[in-house]
Amino acid sequence: MSFLSLIWLIFAPVIAAVFIMLPKFPNHQVKIRRFSKWFASFHFVYALLFLAFFDSSLFGMSYEKELTFFGMSWLKSIGISAKFAVDGITILLIVLSTFIVLITLFMSKIHIRTKHKLYYSMVFLLESAVLGIFCAKDMFLFFVFWELSLIPIYFLVSQWGNSEARRSAMKFILSSFVANMFLFFGMLILYYYNFAVSNVLTANIESLSMDAKIYPLWFQIMVFVNFLIGFVIRIPLALFHSWYPDLQSKSSAPVNILISGLILNTGIYGLIRFNMQIFPELFKLFAPVLMIWGLVNIIYFGALSLLQPGIKKMVSYANISTIGFVTVGLSCLNSTGFNGAVFCLIASSIVFGAMFVIVSSIEFRTKTTYITALGGLGQVMPKCMYLSLIVCFSAIGIPFLIMFSPKLMILTGAMLSNLDQQLMVKIAAFLGLAAIAVSAGYIMYFFYKVFCSVLLEQWKNIKDLSPQETAVLSTMCLVILYLGLYPMSIISVYQSVSSIILDILQV
Amino acid sequence: MSEIANMIVNTYMPEFVLIIFILINIFASLFFDTRFYKLSKWISLLGIIGAIASTVNLQIEPEAYAFSGAFLTNIYTVFFKILILIGGFFLVLLSRNMIREKRDRAFEYFTVFLSGLLFAMCALSTTDFVGLYVSLEAFGLCCYLLLSFTKSPDSTQLTFGYLVQSAVVSSLFLMGLSLIYGMCAQVSFDQISLYFTNAGILQTQPQILLTFSLILMICTILFKLGIAPFSSWLPDTFQGAAYPIGAYMSTISVITCFGILAKLLMIFLNYTFTIRIVLISLAVITVLLGSLSAIRQESLKRIMAYSMSVNSGIMLLGLCVFSVYSLSSVMFYLFCYVFANIGVWSAIIFLFNSAKIESIYDLRGLIYNNPYCVIAFTIVLIAMAGLAPTCGFVAKLYIFSAVARSGFVFLPFLLISMVSAVIMVYAYWRIIREMFKRTHNDIIIDRQIVSSKYILYACSFATVFICIFADKIIQICQFAAYSM
Repeated sequence: MSFLSLIWLIFAPVIAAVFIMLPKFPNHQVKIRRFSKWFASFHFVYALLFLAFFDSSLFGMSYEKELTFFGMSWLKSIGISAKFAVDGITILLIVLSTFIVLITLFMSKIHIRTKHKLYYSMVFLLESAVLGIFCAKDMFLFFVFWELSLIPIYFLVSQWGNSEARRSAMKFILSSFVANMFLFFGMLILYYYNFAVSNVLTANIESLSMDAKIYPLWFQIMVFVNFLIGFVIRIPLALFHSWYPDLQSKSSAPVNILISGLILNTGIYGLIRFNMQIFPELFKLFAPVLMIWGLVNIIYFGALSLLQPGIKKMVSYANISTIGFVTVGLSCLNSTGFNGAVFCLIASSIVFGAMFVIVSSIEFRTKTTYITALGGLGQVMPKCMYLSLIVCFSAIGIPFLIMFSPKLMILTGAMLSNLDQQLMVKIAAFLGLAAIAVSAGYIMYFFYKVFCSVLLEQWKNIKDLSPQETAVLSTMCLVILYLGLYPMSIISVYQSVSSIILDILQV
Repeated sequence: MSEIANMIVNTYMPEFVLIIFILINIFASLFFDTRFYKLSKWISLLGIIGAIASTVNLQIEPEAYAFSGAFLTNIYTVFFKILILIGGFFLVLLSRNMIREKRDRAFEYFTVFLSGLLFAMCALSTTDFVGLYVSLEAFGLCCYLLLSFTKSPDSTQLTFGYLVQSAVVSSLFLMGLSLIYGMCAQVSFDQISLYFTNAGILQTQPQILLTFSLILMICTILFKLGIAPFSSWLPDTFQGAAYPIGAYMSTISVITCFGILAKLLMIFLNYTFTIRIVLISLAVITVLLGSLSAIRQESLKRIMAYSMSVNSGIMLLGLCVFSVYSLSSVMFYLFCYVFANIGVWSAIIFLFNSAKIESIYDLRGLIYNNPYCVIAFTIVLIAMAGLAPTCGFVAKLYIFSAVARSGFVFLPFLLISMVSAVIMVYAYWRIIREMFKRTHNDIIIDRQIVSSKYILYACSFATVFICIFADKIIQICQFAAYSM
């Protein structure tokens, strides 16, 4: 398909952002908003076309494209080129990202009141950076987009968040930069010592691999750990998580959806792309550690979620608790677990995107996020309650909803896992099973407290969802239902890719 | 006669053009009244453009000598000279508002300004230590004169402090030079290099003496670059100096000193390994110390002074793992540094001239008044910090990769300096943060001032543009580094 060019897909949002920022573009909020929505819709359709023409039986990258400037490739003399390609996993993540951006733009109208030009261009810049992360075939190109995605996040959080948002955004940016430096350091050594061994100066991800026989183990561990530090802060795993609930509770509602739907995916993607594919031997070594780490995520954040006073923090802890399942699934090292993990990643973006939509509509009406101040909203907001019921059930993992099959696959994968520490893995799988009960606990607690208990006097007059919000939420519910009923429609897209990755891992 | 003319056209043309225009400036000051002060600016611009244009005719392949071997032209020197001239071109335009206030001394200012460029270029081209010493001293003299140009009591005092310190340091240079001369009775770089290449010599000569003399000589250059133990003069001097002079110091002097330092290291580095470790430790300490001090500053000038010191530290890191690859990476970094640095300075000068903004807290809420200026300022600051879509990132990537490929010994140093570079990112980010803060008091911007604003736009465009077309420039840098 010649009209499907990844370059356009990635850089069209940048062009749109620049176009919005131009002095000629009218500084009128309705026009900016309409332009952005139309653009995002077309962009989403364009991304869908990529999925439609995607050949899922193919075992490699497709839609390969190199970005050249008048015939010159980028930094060719030091072995770095601007090549883009997608495989089965990334094509889904791309479609998901464009979908999340579209949803965000529809939710932005009521929350964003100032500096419209800056806001919409930053959203598009973020989208472009995230798409670049998913498509980059080159390690340093990946890093460029990885760093680029931080700058819009800073502005989005600090400019439209509450009074303390600036401080947490700064904290996030700086800690991320420090972690990025470790990542960058790992990349530099990998890049050079690959050159020293193979005598080809390249940073192409596919041609890099750390063969266990050539390098000493301590060296490999050093590089692996550097990569891991870079990625766990984005995933985020326990101990490196504190930025996430902090940032989410202080930023405005549409930005919440963006952070949970776009930024968290990139961390797991990096883990799959780099730590699993470049260091297969070491990943096997570290898999039990990651499994325990993921399990800690699930249980610890599940418990923390129950204790939070604010619904935003509650939902964000629930979100990273679900991300723990993804980590467990990845470290099972078998196809069931891996497929489940990728599915779980996509499912959690959609489900928690919907959760943040609910939270945002509640926050907009009540101007509070404290759970003690809420209650009984189901009596005045029935539409919202019924739609939230679907979302909450799917977050728990009720059958025929989106989260059921990935969680089932992950736990089955953990049971069947062939890791060396057999007993430990089985115990972990059982604990994970128990953790689903925990997740049922915090999600239902959230639902009960917000919608079901006694209606307070001051909320008697609030209105139900507006048509726009209803449309957004019901679209997401439809997706949740559809993917719950036909999970294979997603899994079949990336099955062949996952089989390659697991082949490299030799399990 | 034609031989001399040939020699001048082949090797000496840019300097020759500059000399002519310096003379024109001096004569013009005799004949023209203060009312025609703008003439000096046009003469200088014309001179710099003429010098840039005359580099086309230079003979660079094979390298050419002039004045019986005392003056060398090859692609390496031409690269640095063009950088200096580009920097000088922008700096002339940036000096505009300062000159308008002191119009009676405009001709004087530009004479000294062009002489500074001339001596910097001579220092790069010279092939012996005597020429190097003389050119460096002359360049230093121009710097003192420029620093004391504004004549506030503050600046006179600080300039005098700088003068005394650098006099001490340049006497150290002379000391090192005399030690080298005592060892091999030569002053020419080639001859000295030949002398030490001769096997067996080093057994008879104490190596400690060579290391000692090299350290003495390098100290002078490290002092001018603001590397750690010698960095204390930088913020105070910048504080006292006028804004364009700060820009001049942080651009021209950095380019010149790195050009010379690379030459010096090339002669001596093969014989002394320990000095690499010393230099790389100094570089790491500079990056750490400079960035830790920068995050506490309020004055934009002082932040830029520390920024110069940190950037020199990063370049020194690349320079002391001496290879063709790392030298080309340093040259590329310099190329990007010139544009980013002049961009930031032009933004600062623009804000100072149009709204009397001096500290970062005065910047608060600027985005509401002048959004496009703020965006361009943000882009050049991001380039200085070395973040993603600008040339600063490519430069950092290149220089760090050069360090990474030179051995396990340097990896800890690399990691420390990378992490401490993040602290410097925070220092730049503080400026950006202030500009985007909400505020109630308006900043009144004088719309009359345009030249520094357009330089800001040009530099912010150039930083992104260089990032995209980096490959071409890297190839030129590698070619130039090979010619060394």
